[in-house]
Amino acid sequence: MFMKLLFGNLTLEAIPFHSVIVMGASAFMLLALLAILFVITYYHKWAYIWNEWITTVDHKKIGIMYLLLSLVMLLRGFSDVILMRTQQALAGGSSYGFLPPDHFNQIFTAHGVIMIFFVAMPMMFALLNMVIPLQIGARDVAYPYLNSLSFWLTFVGAMLCNASLIFGSFAQTGWLAYPPLSELYYSPDVGVDYFIWSLQISGVGTLLAGINFIATIFKMRCQGMTLMKMPIFVWASLCAMILVALAFPVLTVTLALLALDRMMGMHFFTDYAGGNIMMYINLIWIWGHPEVYILILPAFGIFSEVVATFSQKRLFGYTTMVWAIAAITFLSFVVWLHHFFTMGAGADVNAFFGIATMIIAIPTGVKVFNWLFTMYKGRIILATPMLWVTAFFTTFAIGGMSGVMLAIPPVDFQMHNSVFLVAHFHNVIIGGVLFGYFAGIIYWFPKAFGFRLDEKSGTWAFIFWVVGFYVAFMPLYVLGLNGFMRRNFYYANEVYHPYLVVAAIGAGFIFIGILLQLYQVFISIINRHSLRDATGDPWNGRTLEWSISSPAPLYNFAVLPSVEELDQFWVDKESRHHKVSSQQVIEPIHMPKNTAAGFIIAMFAGILGFALIWKMLIPGIIGFLGVIITTIARTFTKETDYYIDVETIKRTQLAFQKEAK
Amino acid sequence: MQAKERHQPDFGTGQKKLSTYLIGLGICTFLTLFAFWIVMSRQFSSLEGFVFIYAAACLQFVAQLIFFLRLNTQTEQGRVNVMSLVFTGVVLITVIIGTLWIMSNLNYYMVH
Amino acid sequence: MHSQTLDHDGTDVFGFWLYIMTDCILFACLFATYIVLNGGMQHTLMLKDFVALPDILIETFLLLASNFTFCLAILNLYQSKLKKVQFWLMITFLFGAAFIYMELTEFARLATEGFRWDLSAQASSFFTLVGTHGLHVSFGLLWILIMIFQLPLLGISPASKRRLTYLGLFWNFLDIVWIFVFTVVYLMGAL
Repeated sequence: MFMKLLFGNLTLEAIPFHSVIVMGASAFMLLALLAILFVITYYHKWAYIWNEWITTVDHKKIGIMYLLLSLVMLLRGFSDVILMRTQQALAGGSSYGFLPPDHFNQIFTAHGVIMIFFVAMPMMFALLNMVIPLQIGARDVAYPYLNSLSFWLTFVGAMLCNASLIFGSFAQTGWLAYPPLSELYYSPDVGVDYFIWSLQISGVGTLLAGINFIATIFKMRCQGMTLMKMPIFVWASLCAMILVALAFPVLTVTLALLALDRMMGMHFFTDYAGGNIMMYINLIWIWGHPEVYILILPAFGIFSEVVATFSQKRLFGYTTMVWAIAAITFLSFVVWLHHFFTMGAGADVNAFFGIATMIIAIPTGVKVFNWLFTMYKGRIILATPMLWVTAFFTTFAIGGMSGVMLAIPPVDFQMHNSVFLVAHFHNVIIGGVLFGYFAGIIYWFPKAFGFRLDEKSGTWAFIFWVVGFYVAFMPLYVLGLNGFMRRNFYYANEVYHPYLVVAAIGAGFIFIGILLQLYQVFISIINRHSLRDATGDPWNGRTLEWSISSPAPLYNFAVLPSVEELDQFWVDKESRHHKVSSQQVIEPIHMPKNTAAGFIIAMFAGILGFALIWKMLIPGIIGFLGVIITTIARTFTKETDYYIDVETIKRTQLAFQKEAK
Repeated sequence: MQAKERHQPDFGTGQKKLSTYLIGLGICTFLTLFAFWIVMSRQFSSLEGFVFIYAAACLQFVAQLIFFLRLNTQTEQGRVNVMSLVFTGVVLITVIIGTLWIMSNLNYYMVH
Repeated sequence: MHSQTLDHDGTDVFGFWLYIMTDCILFACLFATYIVLNGGMQHTLMLKDFVALPDILIETFLLLASNFTFCLAILNLYQSKLKKVQFWLMITFLFGAAFIYMELTEFARLATEGFRWDLSAQASSFFTLVGTHGLHVSFGLLWILIMIFQLPLLGISPASKRRLTYLGLFWNFLDIVWIFVFTVVYLMGAL
């Protein structure tokens, strides 16, 4: 009886001993974890890890942790790609490949969930955390403690998703878990519960981060920086965060209603007793469409920064760029039905949403032209970030065009759920979001770590990625037009086979690209002294983050800047007017103290999530009470901040000025 | 008075006075009683009742914003707060009306 | 001296206001779900067969009263009368607790009479919408108790003003949501 309260439905049978691949993946994961724990223990670094990283509230460190999380999860999401592409290249006609259908279903579901929630979103928050406070001349985000909590909640969500490899299985429903397939009757195992709770937990983290950045951008800009003098990356991020705040509650509700159906026998989305399956699809896409704009807007912001810097020219059309971003933000809330044109709505509804979808392409087009006009007559430097931008222009344009095709309901009736759709969204996500984030990572890497990334290996990684992308996805457009549907582990008609082999080769090229990126990081660390960024401004940048040392000091700015116009840092450099002089009075800087509360709350949330999945009553109560009590205990903490003394600041600034010469 | 205000953080809410709260309480009480009376007295048709109780709810919502939450546009923060509310409201209405339109449309085409 | 900490209380309250906005969206989804699921073919057991409107009227006034007494607590806070703040917070708590008590007994009665959350979509959406509001109120009650306890430790200070402002926004917002709950669920249900 006690064992049942403690372990719930969790038994040794939950471990998938029958599947070699899953056991292999689990073993690899555990070995990697053990290796990390061993290394930390061997070098006696536990105090360092705890004090400098786990309990940090510094936005720069939190940004790095988000980046590490996203890169690790990218490897898992990409392993799913290799498995899927290999399976489809092998299976066809008389062969059934090597993956049984239920495993294949878990793989495409996990691939989508991981790539969106645990790669793209964390990568975005990595960039936002690293850059936004620096670009607006602030010392940190508005709520540093919440920032730490947001990261750890996302981390726990990802770990829950990983736990499904070892204990039980993941959902087999696709990344959005449509009912009735995701209801208890058709998915009686724990897979959908893993899906629900890992997303709910990380979703709370994301929502809090959204609020954090909106408040930061509205309230913590330095003196003189009005909204229309902010860098475009800040504008794009602000609008993305507004979308987060407005869209994520919808996801929270939808997943909660599904959980209530599964756990308490309710009837929101059951196909009897009055439930309405389409209500789930309606709600999930009210979230889902803004979600993709949440991902792409910061990428657009990055392109604005990179294009201006590497064309050595002011961004063309600042005001229209801002209006375009605002238009996209608003319009992203009126197009969601285009994800289910084929699911029963009449022509009037379909027409409205189809037209709205096509309209949203217009502000995007305005932005593309503004970037091109920025480059026109600029002195272009083709550093690696700029390479990614050039690839973005073509790739995203093609993806956008296939999107406009799909926006026409009659066309969508042919293409819906074919791999044409798969090609479209990978086209815009990889070509837009991923290429943008890569450009941003390389661009801001020196600011985060103090040295640039190796250009040569970066260029080779870029070539393999871009070639690989086209080889992997262009066949999918042809396949889709010829009737090949998505999420198939097997197909009878062998005419599709050659295209899928080409797609698998493309995935192989991307794999080499990823390996080259890992090599790039490795070789850059080895050569970090020769790649050192001593001036803090390795790219001859335009915005405030380049006015401080690389890596940035803990307090960011010794004296908070004040600006008078857009791209003030560039203006100062051009006029050789040095604003930061020794005459500026340095005062003690007020900084927030580290805290373990964020980490601890997230750990308890993880226990709660795992307990909800396996119906473990005692751990569930412990997890729930742990979250509440830790939150309350934190409010009784009196000493939450401290001051950095003037001597330390002066010393740090002096060291920077010496090295910069 | 001004010196005191300089040290008070701007929460975006107006001056707190007992009279304001009492007026708010009075208006909300009246609107609540009105709405319940509409339904419990059974004197009105469904459509009339629908209009009256929703109007009462919306009025009470505004009354609570003004008299209890003290939302105003006098200060910078007050304006930002109102703007956030308006934006949230626009999205909220879009989502609700969109949902009702879509779901009734689906119901019509898939059930008949 | 440009100190960001002086303005930070304003930033903190703004962040809480933003959270309230997200909670509005959350409730909007629950309302939309309720309306959609209550529009179609009805199960034999309907809410209107069970609900006593006078009870709902009492609950409404309990919550409205608690909203008002919280405002009285805030007034006393800005007049630096700590003991009175605690007193009015206690009254607020009692009104709120009475509201929750009535709601819980109502739920229990509905369930024993057959109108359970797993009966139909209408029932599920009812219990979830009203229950989520009740859960929020319950968290608010816990928070009020903590504030009563924490106030002597904080004294009349920027910190206590800030924290009671959060709680005030939250408590007020819950009364606003309740306006729509009783209108959409109970009054519309009885029409």
